[in-house]
Amino acid sequence: MNRLIAYKIAQAVPVVLLVSVLAFLLMLLLPGDPAVVIAGEQASPEAIAAVRRSLGLDRPVLAQLGLWLGHLAQGDFGSSLVLNQTVLSAVAERLPVTLSLTGLSLAITLPVGIAIGAIAAYHRQTWVDSLVMSAALVGVSIPAFWIAILAVILFCVILGWFPSSGYVPLLQDPALWLQSLVLPAGILSLFQIGFLARMTRSAMLDVLSQDFIRTARAKGLSEWVTVGKHAFRNALILVITATGILLSAAIGGSVVIEQVFALPGIGRLVVQAILARDYPLVQGVMLIYGFTFVAINLTVDLAYTYADPRVRYD
Amino acid sequence: MSNQTWLSWRAGAIGLVAAALWAAGPAQAEPKKGGTLVYASVSGPGTLDPHVSSSAVELEVIHNVFEGLVALDNQNATKPMLASKATASADAKTYSFTLRRGVKFHNGDELTSADVRASFERYQRVSPNASNLSGVERYDTPDPQTFIIRLKEPNVVLLDVLKSPIFPLMILPAAQKDKPARGIDVVGTGPYSLGEWVKDSHLVIKRFDGYVADTSAAGRDGYAGRKTVHLDAVRFRFMPEATTRIAALQTGEAHLAGSIPSELRARIEEKNTLAIREVFPVGGSYVIVNSQFGVTANLGIRQAIAAAINIGEITEATGGINKPNPWMSFPNTPYYLGNSAPTPWYDQKNPAKAKEMAKKAGYKNEKIIIETNSNYQWMRTTMLVVAEQLKEAGFNVEVKVVDWTTNAAHMQQGTGEWNLSTTLFGPDHILGPQQWRPLVYAFPSIKGNDALDAAYKSFFAEPELEKRRGAWLKIQQQVLGNAYMIKIADSGRLTGYAKRLKGQSDYAGMLQLWDLHLE
Repeated sequence: MNRLIAYKIAQAVPVVLLVSVLAFLLMLLLPGDPAVVIAGEQASPEAIAAVRRSLGLDRPVLAQLGLWLGHLAQGDFGSSLVLNQTVLSAVAERLPVTLSLTGLSLAITLPVGIAIGAIAAYHRQTWVDSLVMSAALVGVSIPAFWIAILAVILFCVILGWFPSSGYVPLLQDPALWLQSLVLPAGILSLFQIGFLARMTRSAMLDVLSQDFIRTARAKGLSEWVTVGKHAFRNALILVITATGILLSAAIGGSVVIEQVFALPGIGRLVVQAILARDYPLVQGVMLIYGFTFVAINLTVDLAYTYADPRVRYD
Repeated sequence: MSNQTWLSWRAGAIGLVAAALWAAGPAQAEPKKGGTLVYASVSGPGTLDPHVSSSAVELEVIHNVFEGLVALDNQNATKPMLASKATASADAKTYSFTLRRGVKFHNGDELTSADVRASFERYQRVSPNASNLSGVERYDTPDPQTFIIRLKEPNVVLLDVLKSPIFPLMILPAAQKDKPARGIDVVGTGPYSLGEWVKDSHLVIKRFDGYVADTSAAGRDGYAGRKTVHLDAVRFRFMPEATTRIAALQTGEAHLAGSIPSELRARIEEKNTLAIREVFPVGGSYVIVNSQFGVTANLGIRQAIAAAINIGEITEATGGINKPNPWMSFPNTPYYLGNSAPTPWYDQKNPAKAKEMAKKAGYKNEKIIIETNSNYQWMRTTMLVVAEQLKEAGFNVEVKVVDWTTNAAHMQQGTGEWNLSTTLFGPDHILGPQQWRPLVYAFPSIKGNDALDAAYKSFFAEPELEKRRGAWLKIQQQVLGNAYMIKIADSGRLTGYAKRLKGQSDYAGMLQLWDLHLE
């Protein structure tokens, strides 16, 4: 197992670096000048040129890339051109928000998505199945931005159940922390629940038609044991795969939710960095995202061995 | 006593009491002290270094935390702020400032001329606006209360430069002198001091109990005057989405919200505890014409384009608060020319004339590239309307939509392939021609216009305001008459607020948080 982990990490490093270099080059292809953003668009051309020089942006592209890679080798992810802080500290400040949001959305998604998917599969081709799948289809189809705004109007303004925006740290007040995240996490989980329900239904349908399920029933096992233990356990591989995909999607989807609910997370950070052409910050966040997705995939691979003892990595 | 008699006595007593109250006049309620104002802002500041700040989100905090030697008053004139007196020599080469005594920084140190000198020297080193001090020969500080600027050449408008609300020349402690741009400790002399700042989340400024107000003034006066703080603190919450800011107002999570889109104002006004405030004017919108690219290098074609523009159609489409004004100065400012001269270039709305002029100028159906952006809806709408107006006049038009960073960089640096774009200029309309100069040359990329250069030279040499106004007329005739820029209108902005927030100023400047209180 340790060899697997080491192999996966070694495999990921060049991939992650490639992603960051590509992000760097893509940013350079974008027109626009971070020096204008920093100095202000109404600063004089001389002032803007001075800012560009002070930030090293007047150097050749390859020199800038080489410098960044050199610093990276020493564990230095660089400093934001706009925020006046290091990339790592900028990300560290915002990490708890994004982790809280995606973690809570996953905590909502997993039980709800799996449960309704299993229910739909068990009651396939009945009105229950149709209802659940229709709801799932709506969940994956509705634009998150639109539903988020409607949710704010209904649940915050009209009903007054939740705050309309903002984040309260967990350590400051757990109850307010939860209250500030329930609605955004719920909105974020809508798409995920729909996706997971459909995947779970598909996996369960496949398993429920297997001979061993007929055997279990013939042996007199209860439906709860047959479906909940035997069928579900065999459908778990696909569910785990879907969960890994959803976690990655949640990190990406948090960008819109953080924007609407004014949550100071990494998603908002990277959007602002792109708009401001804050190259070091975008590169650094892409690198961190890359490592995160590698970690998610590794966790999914390891989870397979738990879900299915037949899966072994040599 | 009969019932009738008793009732008469009672009515009479009530009447006497009422008369006594009426004679005493209405009770003058003292502003309530205390409380935290929550302000829903568009985004957080990137820096609070005043010497390098030009964006509204930064200046909204800066103008409450720092102060300068002089400031704009309600009439947009120059008023002493940290200085009690400011005088210019007859030859306009020496400016002397006497500092107010006992003014304290937030760290408890007393303000002296050494701090002022250090701030000016730092400004010259780090500020994008430093060229306005390029004529300084040296600074003198003969005593702790006196600061003197000695110029190489006469400059009759130096005080107008010092009062600029963007890239403001705020006074910092001398210890900040060698700090890099964006690297200062946030210590000023303003009525608020910096509290907690969590980037992307919130920023808090607290009442500075050691604040020394300008007691020579009767009350508030623009950015100057006597400032009194009733609130304990102001909490800026950063909410990029307008609907989120409005929701915060509606739920009571915020008392004040900035940048309300005009199409959403009804959602605030329908709640009887909330109201909308129109802040006008805050800027002037312009079509920028790239005089160094393609067909718009041709004067005749630029003027033909200007002839096609219909201001009313543009302002109706963009919505918001807009008022036509052909000049590059706001009314109620010293350089506003009003009806003193004709403005034949403005709002011609004549597509037939435009077509004829273009033909005479040799237009051969070359493409006119309009560049706009997806970040600011009013900019996109403006250029889409302009595109249709030009098509009606027979021009071949292409519209490109980029993001604001790209758009701004192209305009500022004259790069990219575009003929027309749009932007908003702000305090330049208040401060006057000296503030306009770098923008006028940079944005439309004006080169080799001798008449414009001569008009500016004349402006800076003239000691009399009336003659400087004459030079400003010539400058505008060159810039607007030759269609390097096409003025659209003066524009304002909407803020939403809870009616329990009292004491807001009528002055249309940056957010001023003194003299406010919450009932």
